[in-house]
Amino acid sequence: MSFTGMFGRGGKVGLSAQESQANFMMAEQEIEMVTDLFNRVSDSCLKKCIPDTYLEPDLNKGESVCLDRCVAKFFEVNKQVGAKLQDISAQNQASQQSRGGLF
Amino acid sequence: MDFSQFNEADTQRMQQLLERNQMRDFMRLYSGLVQRCFDSCVTDFTSKTMSTKEEGCVSRCTDKFMKHAERVGQRFAEQNSALMEEQSKK
Repeated sequence: MSFTGMFGRGGKVGLSAQESQANFMMAEQEIEMVTDLFNRVSDSCLKKCIPDTYLEPDLNKGESVCLDRCVAKFFEVNKQVGAKLQDISAQNQASQQSRGGLF
Repeated sequence: MDFSQFNEADTQRMQQLLERNQMRDFMRLYSGLVQRCFDSCVTDFTSKTMSTKEEGCVSRCTDKFMKHAERVGQRFAEQNSALMEEQSKK
């Protein structure tokens, strides 16, 4: 934990220690999330696109194109599932509120 | 990564965190690679030493995996920045 921010030594002046701690934790969480996403994309696309008979050291055309599409589709699925989950939770919230209004 | 909102000490802390993560990710890559190349290349246990065929396979497997990681990394960066841009618009 650092308090140098309070005295305006480097970084933004006036950012409290708590604020800078919150910033830090958010950045840390973001890094973790992106790293995790990358690892999952990489593992999935390796399994789906690269056959485990290693006849050549290079990616061939088919494998390369497969990887490109695989990464794009993984992001699509990520987005679609995210949107769907958001819908569901919005619906749940709405129905809870309306029930709360009735009783 | 934008560190502009951090003060000096936090920038240093972030650097340490990144280094630690890098080490962890490298170890993960390494062990994953060993696992994958062992599983797909080494199937014969009539000898204690690796055959030329197995060694060639491991070498190709490593090369190919690194190229895989590089390509996925490039596409990932593109997709991720597109996603970030989309989210920042909202």
